[in-house]
Amino acid sequence: MSDLTTAPPDEPEVEAAEAERETPFWQRLVSGSSTWIGLILVGLILVFSLLDPSAFVDSANFRNIATDAAVLLVLATGMTYVIITAGIDLSVGGVLVFSGVVAARAMNGAGGDNWGVIILGLVVALACGIAWGIVNGSLVAKARIPPLIVTLGTLGMSLGAALVITGGVDEREVPFKLISTIGIGRAFNQVPWLVIIAFAVALVFGVILAMTRFGRYTYAVGSNEEAARRAGINVDRHLIKVYALQGTLAGLAGFLSLARFSTTTIGGHDTDNLQSIAAVVIGGTSLFGGIGTMLGTVFGVFIPAVLNNGFIIVGVQAFWQQIAVGAVLIGAVYLDQLRRRSQDQR
Amino acid sequence: MPEPLLEARGIVKNFGRVRALRGANFAVYPKEVVALVGDNGAGKSTLVKTLAGVYEPDEGEIIFEGERVTIHSPTDARGLGIETVYQDLALAAELDAGANMFLGREVMRAGVLGKLGFIDKQAMRTQSRKVFDDLGVALQDTAAPVATMSGGQRQGIAVSRAVTWASKVVFMDEPTAALGVVQTRNVLDLIARVRDQGLAVVLISHNMPEVFEVADRIEVLRLGTRVARFRRGDVSMEDVVGAMTGAITHDGEEHH
Amino acid sequence: MSRKMWLPAGLVVLALVVAACGSSDNGGSTGTAGGSSTTAAKKNYKMTLIAGVKGDEFYITMNCGAQAKAKELGVSLDFQGPDQFDPAQQTPVVNAVAAKKPDAVLVAPTDTKAMFAPIQQMSQNGTKIVLVDTTLAQPDMAVSQIASDNEAGGRAAAEALSKLIGGKGKVFVVNVKPGISTTDARGKGFADGAKELGLTYVGQEYDNDDAAKAAAVTKAALAKNPDLKGIFATNLFSAEGAATGVREAGKLGQVKIVGFDAGPKQVEDLKAGVVQALIAQKPADIGAQGVQQAYNALTGKPTTKKIGTGSVTITKANLDQNQASLYKASC
Repeated sequence: MSDLTTAPPDEPEVEAAEAERETPFWQRLVSGSSTWIGLILVGLILVFSLLDPSAFVDSANFRNIATDAAVLLVLATGMTYVIITAGIDLSVGGVLVFSGVVAARAMNGAGGDNWGVIILGLVVALACGIAWGIVNGSLVAKARIPPLIVTLGTLGMSLGAALVITGGVDEREVPFKLISTIGIGRAFNQVPWLVIIAFAVALVFGVILAMTRFGRYTYAVGSNEEAARRAGINVDRHLIKVYALQGTLAGLAGFLSLARFSTTTIGGHDTDNLQSIAAVVIGGTSLFGGIGTMLGTVFGVFIPAVLNNGFIIVGVQAFWQQIAVGAVLIGAVYLDQLRRRSQDQR
Repeated sequence: MPEPLLEARGIVKNFGRVRALRGANFAVYPKEVVALVGDNGAGKSTLVKTLAGVYEPDEGEIIFEGERVTIHSPTDARGLGIETVYQDLALAAELDAGANMFLGREVMRAGVLGKLGFIDKQAMRTQSRKVFDDLGVALQDTAAPVATMSGGQRQGIAVSRAVTWASKVVFMDEPTAALGVVQTRNVLDLIARVRDQGLAVVLISHNMPEVFEVADRIEVLRLGTRVARFRRGDVSMEDVVGAMTGAITHDGEEHH
Repeated sequence: MSRKMWLPAGLVVLALVVAACGSSDNGGSTGTAGGSSTTAAKKNYKMTLIAGVKGDEFYITMNCGAQAKAKELGVSLDFQGPDQFDPAQQTPVVNAVAAKKPDAVLVAPTDTKAMFAPIQQMSQNGTKIVLVDTTLAQPDMAVSQIASDNEAGGRAAAEALSKLIGGKGKVFVVNVKPGISTTDARGKGFADGAKELGLTYVGQEYDNDDAAKAAAVTKAALAKNPDLKGIFATNLFSAEGAATGVREAGKLGQVKIVGFDAGPKQVEDLKAGVVQALIAQKPADIGAQGVQQAYNALTGKPTTKKIGTGSVTITKANLDQNQASLYKASC
């Protein structure tokens, strides 16, 4: 930095000006984007708790809600990065299924029921995921094809490849150890390992997003790609990394789903992409890029999960649930837009 | 006349069928303010972006401190000590002022955390606040996203960023376009100060009174080539405008 | 700013509360102290029917039969189901129903293995389990398993198809996906029956319970076997898709189709001559028996471990007499 010592302002003036200028931390927290979504989630939990306390407020029920949401949380973690760069990834369901299928084949091919086989399966799943992610990222960054189109294409390709490999038939043999430990196992007999893994993933990548250069570049690229380029950031390489991360997490999600259901559930992931996008957007991340938090995504994953669970408990007809979840999605995003518009006054 | 600090010779730049620069020349000397003027479409912004590394020229050469250089990217330009305030400011609207100041040059945390990629947001905020104070840029909340600030504040941040990091040349493309009277005054004073401290400043401006107040020399671009060079004292505003519109051509310095 | 936010936020919460209080799902109670004014002798048992997939007339008809029986016995019955016939989608539904700790659950598992754990968990909490239609690899926790005798149904389909194509020729099966106990049995019953009757069985393909895919595999089979004479489609979506495939291949009337299940669309196809026979299950019967078995288990009466319900072969000729066996889109 060049030294620009001009006549500096008087010391006390500087200090007074400084004191005025910094918004206190707690005030920033209250007006933070994820706080309101968190309050909505708490509100929903309260409403359902009041409507049917014995059924809803139950450790087994909360455990089930969390377990059912775990795989989606892993997907939404990667999706948060992608959407913050003003991109989108529709291929997650397909990559998940593909990774699960290949991992299952690999584990069954290797044979045995021990940690070695499980680790093999995990590595294979992650490798599949990162491969698809690099394909996505390269096409988006280098070939300059819009992410919507690229990932729509890779969705079809990955799912199609999985169908080709399996003949359309779920792979239903999975090492029992995988099921008994990660699939249905619990830490301290209370918290399912699936939930712990999902939250650990969200935590680690949330910290990276908020506190590292990689995270900041993600925001910068999403906020103003050209400005990031002019600032010397290698935007193409960064985008490839972001999509590769998303792919890797989709691969992990495929592995976790395999552990949970002991079958590749080919037909059950058609709407994973929209669900994870909805979760990220409900959590306060802007589809236009540059804004979003991982904490918001966590809330965004749990709002539909709580809704789906609560509606069944409370007795809402099955088809009404879809209407209600859609309405809440629009409502939550509308609230966030209001808050944001009130900030950008000029 | 000393050697030019940065010189462009015969720069040709085409965008498809549009010939933005048709063999443009330009020179800036150390410790001076040179104004680059021209009508709309003359190629001023293109020339600046070429020298800043955003574009690569189709033909022509760039000479820096007497040596031929190729500037492939903004990072190359910055490596030479060249910084730019773009007309569109090139700020990331959702990031705060400190983040924008250090964009691409983040301050890392000390020790292991820094090696792992953790950035020191507090240090960046503090250091940038000091720069803003020094340069008279008044921000209410340095932690707020730049999008919430007025046009003048944003321009102040962009100018501060370029001036802070530059070690040789600062390009400013219409730096006072969105500013009020007082802030314009501040920027013009700043430009003079920057020059006095040893940097060269290239100022693109439509505003003739401003140019005549602060520039030492004026180079006129018209339809992608340089058509005139003046020293400020030797010329009137009408002459300069005449050169911009093509009525006059004048080359006040030696050819190269 | 804050004032503007309370209105939409309030609307969201209000909508939820209205939906919750206003929901009366075919007689299901909301579980709050709404209670019931029962006589001292009878307890108001709460049951839930969890379908394999929402929107399938087979399960809707099952629900109709179950609701009727529930009303007769004085129990309340909810109806739930996943969006797709898949364990990844059905598990959260089962878990949510489990949270209500209903007295009994009638459930159609979407996978013989994957659905074991959540259903087992419900059973361990004291809920009586009745497996309807499909079953589990380990069904011991259920007080009863009620399904059509699907293998017999497959054989009935082979007989019907044989009659339609004149006793010989190539036949093909459009099936759903392996791992579903019911459709697997139908496929097997048909294959065995077809071979015994002297038909040429060219094989079966899966469509993952998707009509569009069923149409595609049908067209592919027709392309591969131009002299194909008959097709057996093992469930509702498969039959719809097979009919579409035959129509699009331009072989309406030349290729005879026997479908399984008698939903409204299939009955239309039957009337129009697109399919020639339907093997109708008795889903209403399954539903009613399911409720009865659950009730028996709750009131200490004897239960029957396995109940096989029958099938009815419906053709255009006997359609009028068999109106009661057709599936409904609503009760």
